[in-house]
Amino acid sequence: MSEALPLFFVSAMGLSLLLYVILDGFDLGVGMLLPFGTDAEKDTMIASIGPFWDANETWIVMGVGVLLIAFPKAHGIILTSLYIPVTIMLVGLILRGAAFDFRVKSADHRQPMWNKLFALGSLMASMAQGWMLGAYITGLTGDAVSVAFSILISLTLPALYIMLGGAWLLIKTEDELFDKAAHWCRLALPPMAFALLLVSIATPLVSAEIADRWFKLPDAIGLLPIPMSCALAILGMDWMLRRPKVLHAGYGWFIFVALMVICLMAAIGLAYSIYPDIVIGRMTLWEAAAATESLQFIFWGAIVTLPAILGYTVYVHRVFSGKATELSYE
Amino acid sequence: MGIMLFGKQRVSNRTHLISTFLVAFGTSLSAFWILALNSWMHTPAGYTIEEGQFFAESWSAIIFNPSFPYRFTHMMLASLLTAAFLVAGVCAWRIRQGVDGPATKMVLKSGIYTAAMIIPLQILAGDLHGLNTLEHQPAKVAAMEAVWETERGAGFTLIGLPDEDARETHFAIKIPYAASLILTHELDGEVKGLNDFDAHPPVAPVFWSFRVMTGVGTLMLLVSWWGVWQLFRRGALSGLALSVVSWMTFSGWVASVAGWYVTEIGRQPWIVQGLVSTADVVAQHPTATLSGTLFGYVGLYLALMIAYMKALRIMALKPARLLEEDSNPIGTPLVGAAT
Repeated sequence: MSEALPLFFVSAMGLSLLLYVILDGFDLGVGMLLPFGTDAEKDTMIASIGPFWDANETWIVMGVGVLLIAFPKAHGIILTSLYIPVTIMLVGLILRGAAFDFRVKSADHRQPMWNKLFALGSLMASMAQGWMLGAYITGLTGDAVSVAFSILISLTLPALYIMLGGAWLLIKTEDELFDKAAHWCRLALPPMAFALLLVSIATPLVSAEIADRWFKLPDAIGLLPIPMSCALAILGMDWMLRRPKVLHAGYGWFIFVALMVICLMAAIGLAYSIYPDIVIGRMTLWEAAAATESLQFIFWGAIVTLPAILGYTVYVHRVFSGKATELSYE
Repeated sequence: MGIMLFGKQRVSNRTHLISTFLVAFGTSLSAFWILALNSWMHTPAGYTIEEGQFFAESWSAIIFNPSFPYRFTHMMLASLLTAAFLVAGVCAWRIRQGVDGPATKMVLKSGIYTAAMIIPLQILAGDLHGLNTLEHQPAKVAAMEAVWETERGAGFTLIGLPDEDARETHFAIKIPYAASLILTHELDGEVKGLNDFDAHPPVAPVFWSFRVMTGVGTLMLLVSWWGVWQLFRRGALSGLALSVVSWMTFSGWVASVAGWYVTEIGRQPWIVQGLVSTADVVAQHPTATLSGTLFGYVGLYLALMIAYMKALRIMALKPARLLEEDSNPIGTPLVGAAT
């Protein structure tokens, strides 16, 4: 039991963060795309994420919550090292949350300002998360390589979110906005692929052990499906985004599914690289885990909470399925 | 939340009601756990320490630690009061501005009645919470009352300027025996003074926050009972009462924030009372980083607070659309119409 619990919690945390990237990724992306829509399109874009975005953000609360209570020592190191990007992310998320409501509830002449703040908050949160990912992968060392890498990821991770946002709009919108969304996806695809490549190259460079794990035969053959499915997904998206007819025929959802595959594969690859470390090169998840009694206690909380949020997520997507309509509080 | 806010036309009334209930239940559950954790930091229980590390011994003792029942009750009542005054205040302001519908008066009434019922309970809960604090964190209480020397039959300092360097309160206006009476429920009960503690919190912020909290609480009692008296006697609030109630719209926030200042500053220099000091666990960031982010948060929240109040004002000026047909046209004053 004492062996299994840290594994359970690291899996729960990984799943939460993966779902966060996919789910909040699309609404952060729509936020960053907001300045490029007309006024009417802006309303549709916001309406397409309206019922979902706050539920989406609960996944990062869940992920960081599990990190705090199940791996308190790792939480101390990670969140202290990432203090500044975490602050920037929080400011961004606060701005977004406030702007979401204030853009329709404040005075009419203030709406452009809140729209800009919504986009700015989305960009801040996305870039801060890229910074955190870059710093985490390079072992939270804070040296020049780590900083340079963090900057690079903070500039490229938003491309993934923009793609997710564009793909979401392909599911949720019609007509001109639909065509614009396809155009935005086309523009964001190369930087996103570049970011993915960077992260893939960087992790083995950080430690020889990780490199060994990926390039040692015969393991490397078993791992091939990961890079191959990512490459296929990217090529598939590129093919489809060049063919508006296919998109209009109702296959727009493929882009989102392909992006989900990429996120899933990236998560599996990252987990394979760093396991059993939780702070790369410094601390394993066993060393960071809280006492077994504590883990047993929160196990029951997680058993109730995880399916509940998952169930709600599925339910809310069913209730608000189909193309986005005007938001109504009535 | 998404279903509650935007789903009314997409789900059945029953599902919508359930989702509304879940939002209320979830919020309360969240308050439960936050306050269990926070209370543990004030009155730690149910743990053992091995090699400088805390281990859980009894979860029931940890969750239901000595200050938890009081703090939880006090906070839940505070939230209800905050909501009651917000709702009543906005409605009173709408009536004064002539943006009225039949619902406005009903909502105003339910706000006033709720506040009038809750506030005596809150004062009782606050008193019991204070006694619990006296038992477990006497230094906090001494700072709240600015009692410097241990004494029997201590007077209650109504107002004054606590001076930590001089170890006295300047210009103090005191009610004889009152501090002993409030804290020990005996006229000559002994109250331990600040000078007899090894460490105590900064006195002035705790002293002043406590006076803001209890002052607003007293105002809440007076205003809500006055409102009820008027409602009984004439079925509506007078123009003066409407304006007082609308001025009290945000009183709940003021009292709640002041209350949190009392309890959190009052715990200093500890982050976990008696066990872990705040200075020991603060992250080793440069002062500029910490103060920069702190001022960043304060600035952001101030700006959002102003935006919030402005948005609320605009929303309060909009007539209720669903009730348009039976509501009075905008601009028709309704004050005193029910008399």
